Amino acid sequence: MEEHKEENKYEGLNLPNYNIPEDIQNVVSITTIDRLYNWGRRWSVWPLMFGLACCAIEMIAAQTARYDMARFGMEVMRPTPRQADMMLVSGTVTKKMLPSIIRLYNQMPEPKYVVAMGACASSGGPFKEGYNVVAGIDKFLPVDVYIPGCPPTPQALIAGMMKLQEKIDKQSIKKVRWYEKGKNDSNYVPMPILGPDLIDVRRNAEYKEAAAKKEGAA
Amino acid sequence: MYGKGILKGLSVTWKRFWDTYLDDISWWVRGKKRYYTTEGVAHRSSKDARGIFTVQYPEEQLIQPEEFRFVPFLVFDGNEENKEVRCTSCGICAKVCPPQCIWIVRTNDPNTGKPVPQPAEFYVDMDICMNCGFCAEYCPFDAIKMDHEFAIASYDRNVYNLEKLLKPASYYAEIRPLNYNKEEEARKAKEAAKAAKAAAATQAA
Repeated sequence: MEEHKEENKYEGLNLPNYNIPEDIQNVVSITTIDRLYNWGRRWSVWPLMFGLACCAIEMIAAQTARYDMARFGMEVMRPTPRQADMMLVSGTVTKKMLPSIIRLYNQMPEPKYVVAMGACASSGGPFKEGYNVVAGIDKFLPVDVYIPGCPPTPQALIAGMMKLQEKIDKQSIKKVRWYEKGKNDSNYVPMPILGPDLIDVRRNAEYKEAAAKKEGAA
Repeated sequence: MYGKGILKGLSVTWKRFWDTYLDDISWWVRGKKRYYTTEGVAHRSSKDARGIFTVQYPEEQLIQPEEFRFVPFLVFDGNEENKEVRCTSCGICAKVCPPQCIWIVRTNDPNTGKPVPQPAEFYVDMDICMNCGFCAEYCPFDAIKMDHEFAIASYDRNVYNLEKLLKPASYYAEIRPLNYNKEEEARKAKEAAKAAKAAAATQAA
């Protein structure tokens, strides 16, 4: 247990771990603002409240008193994408659900993160060759953290969330996409087209006629 | 009376709140540590737990039962310099794997071209693995086993190669002592039976 404690040591706000040039070492620099900015963001990652399959049950368990994701500032599950920072894709993404997920992602404000929780969201898992399942949400959305497991235990989920926090720590206010000039302020993902429907409902009368003709012939 | 349920619920919360401190004090009086110790976690996970029972994950971990399984790993005997990989690349695990996340490349002898019982490459896509444990169940050489390590989230797809999969037998003995001892005993009994048979054959001759 002691050894585990060492591994996950977080340096905190007051120790900016950046290489500052010698001549400005005693001057307040942008790196500390970065640190403050990231410190604020890392402890208030609000997930979007939606679950897709059995992984959602573990996600709920991670929010309960036993594991308590509130310790990480992640207890505020937002039911609207406008207030969410992170999309936790928890479960199998079916082709029918995919357009809704993409739409939700597009509606989220920057900075936004996507976490693929569990085998199905990361790669399709056992359904990876299914006719109705998207083999990994990373085919459509830019995934930040992959959490393996089927489903990942609440502790594994929290470990993944800590990985996301580490990623946020490494970001710099100068380099992030959403503040850079001349670039798109938001990562818009085009709506997927998953092939036409097998049956065109507008041609129902035609099908019925053909079926009746076939029946008459038999 | 309206609001009775709310009061009842609040009283439960209130009781829990005080129970936490009472329990803390009783542990302190006994000179024990309630937090960040294996003993404390065991108590908070048990039915006797009073007050707060949050297991503060990165600092402390739930005690995993021996049969807890997450993703597979390969066992090797010997030491780090001279790894004797138990796997013979028979491919049974790849065949029984329901989501088919195991790929094995077999070794061929460069001179004769005949297969050698050693995997040249061994890949497990951890992002497809569904933690069923069939591979460990079916492996006739006790070469592939299920791991307890679950904090393996990454920024990229987790495809483990031989280097990442291989773990020493001592690690296996550490996480699953009962299973390890059972398997070692079975192996010893088998070897003894074989030796006895060989001895009987030589005597008869």
